[in-house]
Amino acid sequence: MSTEIIDGLLAVLQWKVLGFLSVGVVLGAIFGALPGLTATMGVAILTPLTFWLSAEEGLAMLLGIYGGAIPGGGIPAILINVPGTPASIATSWDGYALSRQGKAGLALGINAILSTIGQLTSIFFLAVAAFPIASFALRFGPAEYFGLALFGISLMAGVSGKRVIQGMLAGMLGLSLAMVGLDPMTAYPRYTFGQAEFLDGISFVPVMIGLFGLAEVLTQISERNKTTDTPPAALGRILPRLTEWKKMIVGAAAGAGLGTLVGAVPAAGGDIGSVISWEQARRISREKEKFGKGSIEGLAASCASCNSAIGGAMTTMLTLGIPGDAVSAVLIGALMIHGIQPGPLLFRDKASFVFSLVFLMAFAAILIMAIGLLGARPLARALRLPNAWLWAGIVLFGTVGSYALNNAIVDVWAMFVAGIVGFLFRKANIPLGPLVLGLILGPMMESNLRRALILSRGDWTGTLTQPIVLFFLVATALSLLVPLIKRRKT
Amino acid sequence: MLSGMLRCSASLAVVVGISFSGCSSTSGPFPSKELKLIVQASPGGLSDSVSRIMASLSEPDLGVPVVCENKPGASGALAYSYVVRRPPDGYTIGHAAVEIAMVRALGYADIGPEDVDLICLVSKSPPVLVVRADSPWKNFSDFVDAARKEPNSLIMANSGTGSIWHFNTLLMEQYADLRVTHVPYNGSSGSLASLLGGHVDAVIAGAGEAVANVAAGRLRALAILPPSRSQIYPETPTTHELKYPFGVPAWSGFFAPKGLPQDVLVRLEAAFRKAFETEEWRKLCHERGMEAEFLNSEDFQKFALDQGIFFGAEIPKLLTMKR
Repeated sequence: MSTEIIDGLLAVLQWKVLGFLSVGVVLGAIFGALPGLTATMGVAILTPLTFWLSAEEGLAMLLGIYGGAIPGGGIPAILINVPGTPASIATSWDGYALSRQGKAGLALGINAILSTIGQLTSIFFLAVAAFPIASFALRFGPAEYFGLALFGISLMAGVSGKRVIQGMLAGMLGLSLAMVGLDPMTAYPRYTFGQAEFLDGISFVPVMIGLFGLAEVLTQISERNKTTDTPPAALGRILPRLTEWKKMIVGAAAGAGLGTLVGAVPAAGGDIGSVISWEQARRISREKEKFGKGSIEGLAASCASCNSAIGGAMTTMLTLGIPGDAVSAVLIGALMIHGIQPGPLLFRDKASFVFSLVFLMAFAAILIMAIGLLGARPLARALRLPNAWLWAGIVLFGTVGSYALNNAIVDVWAMFVAGIVGFLFRKANIPLGPLVLGLILGPMMESNLRRALILSRGDWTGTLTQPIVLFFLVATALSLLVPLIKRRKT
Repeated sequence: MLSGMLRCSASLAVVVGISFSGCSSTSGPFPSKELKLIVQASPGGLSDSVSRIMASLSEPDLGVPVVCENKPGASGALAYSYVVRRPPDGYTIGHAAVEIAMVRALGYADIGPEDVDLICLVSKSPPVLVVRADSPWKNFSDFVDAARKEPNSLIMANSGTGSIWHFNTLLMEQYADLRVTHVPYNGSSGSLASLLGGHVDAVIAGAGEAVANVAAGRLRALAILPPSRSQIYPETPTTHELKYPFGVPAWSGFFAPKGLPQDVLVRLEAAFRKAFETEEWRKLCHERGMEAEFLNSEDFQKFALDQGIFFGAEIPKLLTMKR
């Protein structure tokens, strides 16, 4: 075993491999930072190029992109409140608030450092416990997915802050929008008004860009005359202090652990993982009221969780040959180009290559921190741009990004409509978080409940009393009831 | 005399062809600028890999970049409708998957293989029926017997209602006279994960998608569905050998808007044929469980029209089959 670890390490400790890895991380950060461009796209476009590289060099570049994208997506989330990837939504809640307080540097620093810690944690679990994690992931049948989604949806109350009723209504709107498209079981079109463009439902990314990006611009424009709270251009320090580390440690641990587990489950990734981690960190925090208003604990939980989904998804992909998320689906193709078949046999036949991948992801994580910390200062200069430039830039990138996702103009319209809706919601003080949760989790909840009922032949009790499902149902009930009970007492 | 006339008309045709393609906004021989290849699926799937690899393998011969653009949605209907509305100058072409012969019968868009100019077919992906290695069914007839004994008792996952693997499952029900309970997932990764996790009994998926777990001894391949054996499952009998002649593969080819000038069509076909003959393409096909098979424009046209007629007749029948 130890010779295989050393072989794996030596195969990647070459300046060419490390060079491709750095190129990948920077490219990934750029892809992640531009809303609409995704890590999946970056990896897919560059996969044919790796034809002419060795397996280690090619995978170095692709894994670099994979690792760099989510921390990259955190940068616009922190600086301008536009999440670059769906996984950075929770990052924007606290990150943007911090940068409004003149702590953009600290937020960017935490984003870089905690992304690294999250990725390293999940890779450590991949290296030591790949098969137990994979078999846990396989236990997730339709009923378990339904439980996970229901639990996620119960967090709507938590992310609504004090405006619970408005939050619930926004959540319902999100769930209704999630119903547009082909019925997941019968493939019958629902709410498509005869338009083929709506058959696959409403794309999430343009809606996200609109709700957060465009709505932010509109809000700032509408408030431009009350220039009391223009964002301070100050960057502040980048590295967290020891007292801040102490605060972050619990949130970060929760984020990295939950993120790895959620990431390992196929079809659930960093977007769901980070919201769940953020909410759990809020529950155990002593300063709950700060969450969403610039809590470094919240930011730590979200950042750590986003990138730990990578180790989880890679675990599923390498051990089972089944992709844990969209990027790892592309990576399967890239591995096959180099004659490597992911699956249970990979660990027996090519153990040293598996360790090469582990080391590559670990080095990528360290590069993320280095590049993120070095880049924080120049990036934060964006805040010193005149507001009008910034607004025009957000609208421009938002439009291009919405189109680039599927090369479909209907997505650009979705972005603009979502932007106006988001603006009106903000003016009416209706929280947007629940709407996003409904849109992400609605399809997962619906299709898996219906699958579970097919499997159990319509029997609800048998389905819902399996251990993991029961765990999620109890957690859901607690997350809804405990705040009510506490309020009664006080 | 006759050959002289032929030669004359041939050269005339070439001149006319060139002048026509010359009219279409560019001058000089085709291609003089980059080609756009519209992929009907998201980045990462088999269609996307085939398109991107074929694009990069045909670039040296064409001498211009071939840029892939993904337009996923409605089983490919959005991309197909987009490509047929482009000018037929060869600069916008599309990846044609089996769904181009299915979307009309599925009701997603009024488009089929007869509405486009097909350039060539480059691969077929055979379906395979797999069960868990610890399941009691050692071969196809065990499975058929169990399914017949108690109709709808066995649960089979598929990659989505209306998908090609779902239709293969329905075809199996029809040809082997059995009934199973269907659970649709979003793609084969979902259906295979639910099989590995013990949530369902069997899955029909692409041969390449299941091969890693079959090789590792976690899944057992009971039958391969096209007429000939698969190079990656040499031991597994075909349904045709088993006297149940059913099964339709997924396939990959390229098409252009209708009315493509003959010389442009010939040029593209030749470029793709060269790419097809490379070692890289063989390798990719082998590793992803596809059969490398080349059909030229004429044969592909025949094949795809047949498929369109087949799906047009079978899809409504299979979806309303008595359960």
